Amino acid sequence: MESDDDDYVFFGTPIEREEEITSRKKKAVAEASGHLRTLPVWKQEVRDEEGRRRFHGAFTGGFSAGYYNTAGSKEGWAPQSFTSSRKNRAGVKQQSILNFLDDDEKAELEGQFLGTSSQFDTFGFTAAEIARKQAEKEQQKRPSIIPGPAPDELVLPATESVGVKLLLKMGWRRGRSIKDSHESALYDARRKARRAFLAFSMDDPEVQTTDSEPMKADAHNLLEQTANDDLSFSKSTPVYILNPKQDLYGLGFDPYKNAPEFREKKRLRTSSKSGSGYGKGFSMKDSLFGSKSGKVAPGFGIGALEELDDEDVDVFAGHEYEDAYFHEVEEPSKLEEKKKVNQKNLGNLPGFRVASNSDCQMERFEVPVIPKDFVPCHTFSGPLEMNRRHYDVPPPEVPPPEDVNLKILIEGVANLVARCGKLFEDLSREKNQSNPLFNFLSGGAGHDYYARKLWEARQKRNDQIKQPLDGRGLSAAGAQKLTAENRGQILGEKPLERSSQDPTPPVASNVQLQFNLTDTFTKPASFNELPELEKPFKDDPAKQERFEMFLKEKYEGGLRSTSSSLAGNMSEAARARERLDFEAAADAIQKGKCGKGSKLSNPSFVDFASAGSLQFTSGGVEPKKDLQTEDSLAKKIQPKREEFQWRPSPLLCKRFDLIDPYMGKPPPAPRIRSKIDSLIFTSDSVKDARIEEPVNAKKNISCVPQFENDDATKKVAKDETEVEVEVENVERPVDLYKAIFSDDSDDEGEESNVIKEDNQEKKAEVANTALSRLIAGDFLESLGKELGLEVPPDMPYPAPKSRDPGPLKETCNENTRNDIPNIRSNGEVSLNQHAQDYAVGISERGYGNMLESGSSKAKGSNTAEGMSSKFIRETDDRDGSSSSEEERIRKRTAHECKSNMFHGEKDDGRKIKAPSTRRHDYSGSSSSEEERSRKHSKHRRLKRRHDSGSDSSSDDDPDSYRSRSKRKNKGSSREKGRSRKHSKHHDRRNRDSPSRSSRHKKEKDHADDRREKKRRE
Amino acid sequence: MSVADLPRKEVNELKGHEGAVLAARFNSDGNYCLSCGKDRTIRLWNPYRGIHIKTYKSHGREVRDVHVTLDNSKLCSCGGDRQIFYWDVATGRVIRKFRGHDSEVNAVKFNEHASIVVSAGYDQSLRAWDCRSHSTEPIQIIDTFSDSVMSVCLTKTEIIGGSVDGTVRTFDIRVGREISDDLGQPVNCISMSNDGNCILASCLDSTLRLLDRSTGELLQEYKGHTCKSFKLDCCLTNTDAHVTCGSEDGFIYFWDLVDASVASRFRAHSSVVTSVSYHPSESCMISSSVDGTIRVWKS
Repeated sequence: MESDDDDYVFFGTPIEREEEITSRKKKAVAEASGHLRTLPVWKQEVRDEEGRRRFHGAFTGGFSAGYYNTAGSKEGWAPQSFTSSRKNRAGVKQQSILNFLDDDEKAELEGQFLGTSSQFDTFGFTAAEIARKQAEKEQQKRPSIIPGPAPDELVLPATESVGVKLLLKMGWRRGRSIKDSHESALYDARRKARRAFLAFSMDDPEVQTTDSEPMKADAHNLLEQTANDDLSFSKSTPVYILNPKQDLYGLGFDPYKNAPEFREKKRLRTSSKSGSGYGKGFSMKDSLFGSKSGKVAPGFGIGALEELDDEDVDVFAGHEYEDAYFHEVEEPSKLEEKKKVNQKNLGNLPGFRVASNSDCQMERFEVPVIPKDFVPCHTFSGPLEMNRRHYDVPPPEVPPPEDVNLKILIEGVANLVARCGKLFEDLSREKNQSNPLFNFLSGGAGHDYYARKLWEARQKRNDQIKQPLDGRGLSAAGAQKLTAENRGQILGEKPLERSSQDPTPPVASNVQLQFNLTDTFTKPASFNELPELEKPFKDDPAKQERFEMFLKEKYEGGLRSTSSSLAGNMSEAARARERLDFEAAADAIQKGKCGKGSKLSNPSFVDFASAGSLQFTSGGVEPKKDLQTEDSLAKKIQPKREEFQWRPSPLLCKRFDLIDPYMGKPPPAPRIRSKIDSLIFTSDSVKDARIEEPVNAKKNISCVPQFENDDATKKVAKDETEVEVEVENVERPVDLYKAIFSDDSDDEGEESNVIKEDNQEKKAEVANTALSRLIAGDFLESLGKELGLEVPPDMPYPAPKSRDPGPLKETCNENTRNDIPNIRSNGEVSLNQHAQDYAVGISERGYGNMLESGSSKAKGSNTAEGMSSKFIRETDDRDGSSSSEEERIRKRTAHECKSNMFHGEKDDGRKIKAPSTRRHDYSGSSSSEEERSRKHSKHRRLKRRHDSGSDSSSDDDPDSYRSRSKRKNKGSSREKGRSRKHSKHHDRRNRDSPSRSSRHKKEKDHADDRREKKRRE
Repeated sequence: MSVADLPRKEVNELKGHEGAVLAARFNSDGNYCLSCGKDRTIRLWNPYRGIHIKTYKSHGREVRDVHVTLDNSKLCSCGGDRQIFYWDVATGRVIRKFRGHDSEVNAVKFNEHASIVVSAGYDQSLRAWDCRSHSTEPIQIIDTFSDSVMSVCLTKTEIIGGSVDGTVRTFDIRVGREISDDLGQPVNCISMSNDGNCILASCLDSTLRLLDRSTGELLQEYKGHTCKSFKLDCCLTNTDAHVTCGSEDGFIYFWDLVDASVASRFRAHSSVVTSVSYHPSESCMISSSVDGTIRVWKS
């Protein structure tokens, strides 16, 4: 994958290498010379010594100046150096503009550079401080555009007027009076004028108003010539407040200069509108000028010492203020608007407005609507009902009246009353007061019986009402409502009827009780429907009845009425025959039912299986189904739904804001490895088989009822485990294997051979020990190689194995096959012993050398075994999930050994047959991958069928083989899928896709053929 | 909604793509639309004014799908260059690139919070990428499909993918369960109904199939158009009353949802209609075509 640089952002300039620069220079020089030679003058480009173009032409930028057209330098801009030491502290250095100016610029600036120096201001800092504070105080009173106090950097109050400075120069000091006590009035007046002038001169041209109050006070003070002028003078330092310019007039223009009355009006208007004092300064000015400068021409000031004369009067002033006024009118409204807008957006950042609809909306759920008739008080229905039922003392039991009509009547009325309520009883009582028949209602004859019946009817009704409730929410309400009746219903018990129903006296109750007990155990609910459905003797009702009786006897517990006079008139022989018939029929029914049952339980199987990506399907039903789906594929496809377990990664759950459904559970175990482990360690455990056993046992019992002995079941169970292992084996990518070892013919033969061999019955224990033995030998051999020890030279096993496993395998097989008798001879020996024997048998045959040496080196088989198993695991680790070739072969051999062992141990008679079938299998080889894999499965299945058929003389175990076939199919379909697509990902371990193929029929045919063949043999 | 309300009147034509437009999508509120195509660009449009707003260029090969977050701030796109690009809408810069698919990426979607991008690739996998961390590895790879995954839909708790292997697989994150519905025909595009109960799957046998999500039941099949070799988008109208899909002959088809009759068909483009997208709330639709145009339709 290529790396993209645009993902990254670089800061700073990269450090250029020396050689790069030099090479660039060289290149530039060469280019320049080349250009110079070839190009005409007007096309030549001037470049500097580094090959950069500096002259761009008059219209495209002229000379590029400075350092790369910047004000930088070659050294770059360096911040002020940091100096720190004890003696030479880094002082706070003020940077001035001079720091950044070039020399020539500095020279240019020389002479016109004005600066103030505070070195002569002895008390200047205090004055500045005071002034600033006062300014701040003033600031708060005064509106301005910039809210809050104006930054000090922008508006610096004048610390001192020029006059004060002059005075200071003249020797005046603060806190001293300027004037002597004997100063003349004229001098005073002059001073006053001068001060006024000073005040104005200090007034910035931009600022039109001054706060002249202190001045006025000062003037007063001066006029009064008070003694405490020290004091007055000290506070006389004026603060000149800069009012911001808020209008659109030119600098220094005052539209009301000649019309103070308008100014007053405006001030009133603004103050009334905005509420805040707007122009206090104006009024002050008015007071200063208004009296005398009514018609002073704008733009020309008068000297402080001059009197206002006629010539100063502006003759043209008259026409001006009118439009000025109109101009003014608009302004406040604008301001107003602005203010309004500001107020509207209060709380927002300037430039933003509140979104009308926000993107992020919380999901809100409506409060559930409470039904109108809801009473917020919980009623505990269950216990109360029970109370009513159980603490209601039932009326004593009374024998029914002799009159049958009356009895019926009473019962009818009781039922009605129970259904319709007490009201009905009252009604009918009133109505039938005269009728003697209804005397029981009003305490006459039969009243006791009526009461009893009524109670019973009520009880029954309660039950009926309660029943659906129980059925629905058994989990919720069942716990507290589980009464004896309910329990009885669930368990299929029939409540013991009181003898009251019977007209017979209680003396006979003993007999009756027994009779009742036979009925006590009704059929369990699950079994109910069956006899009704299956009526094998429909044509003969009597027989059917007897059959049902038989069924009852067979499947239901309880005491039996021995009399069962149904078949009383039959002879003993006939009865026996019939009984046999019934047995057969019952078996048939049972079988059918089991089939159904397993079908029903199918989904759960699938669930269980999907976890391990295995699929069990029951036999019998499946092929038809597949055919159906195949048919429907052509017509209309109903989507097939399957469910698998899927584990989302925790981070995914987090990002989706969901709780990880697998939180806290261990990660799924790697599939293959666990299988191999189990393969190796099954030797001492039938436990593995036992895990499978419940399932298998169930199947066996249900589908093959005549499984005589435990041994058989156990064996089948064991088969099951074997099957799984094999599946694992075959699941490995065969085409990968083929791609590497592309010896086709050998491959073909070997492959089919292996699989067929696999199908032989085998015993895990023996095989595993044998396997580990083989591996131990292998391992030891390699160990020997590593250690430089002598290795038996004529070892056929390990050397050519990886290259051409086929023939070797054959020999191996042959060997093992031939050794079988040896093993068989001591079938009852312990496993270890057995394995030893086996190994010896092999060693006799040729490649036992290695084994012998191996075992001798390892000092005993046990250590060898341990090592070998370790070795296996090691290789396993190394290979990961994809199978290494070696290991596969090893496993295959193991299987073969196993199968052979099994043969040898179990059934001698079949041994003769085995080669023939094998031959058959050899013949079957096809080129295409898919075909082959399909065939594998087929072979296996056939083989299996064949074997089991021959060795347990019972019917084939359809379930187990089906499951395998299914599995196999899946594998092959995957193969198919892969070949359909680009064949890129061979080594990927997809989960198996559901197979759509159905070849069962064909396979069955094959199987039949095989059977035929067998029979002929 | 009657047939007359179906958007059949062309309002605007958005021109700008040089070459086939492979997908056109409304944004979540329907005010803008995005398109992507063979010219390796993604374009942002205002479909009502017919204005081309922005072009996003960075893809090295054709862009096959684009999706925008609910808040319109980020884009994700995918295409023939096997990468998923994560864009900033405003600046047009690529924030991140997710690499990891072994071949072309067919479809891409954000989840609700725009924290995850799920992509469907030709490499038979769905991959979930994290937008919040800087990790370039996918958070999860779902490779249970056995053929190219063509389309992906996300709900709040589920990832749904449609694949050429004929399955629509729902991965329920909350339950940790994969539900596979095998339609038997290569699935081209899946789209959810607005109520979230159904999935409309466009199959390569020129049939749209409506599945009930909870049961996997096939509710209806819609036929009449041609869809045999192109990836054509399908969708339901905003009211879920009709089903619409483009056709390889340049027509746009509307079917009645319930009785599967062709409610309307009209010639929309001169060439294959690759994509249709329906406005989330109004009766408005955009369609894109191999002829390089995007057209806006209103009733």
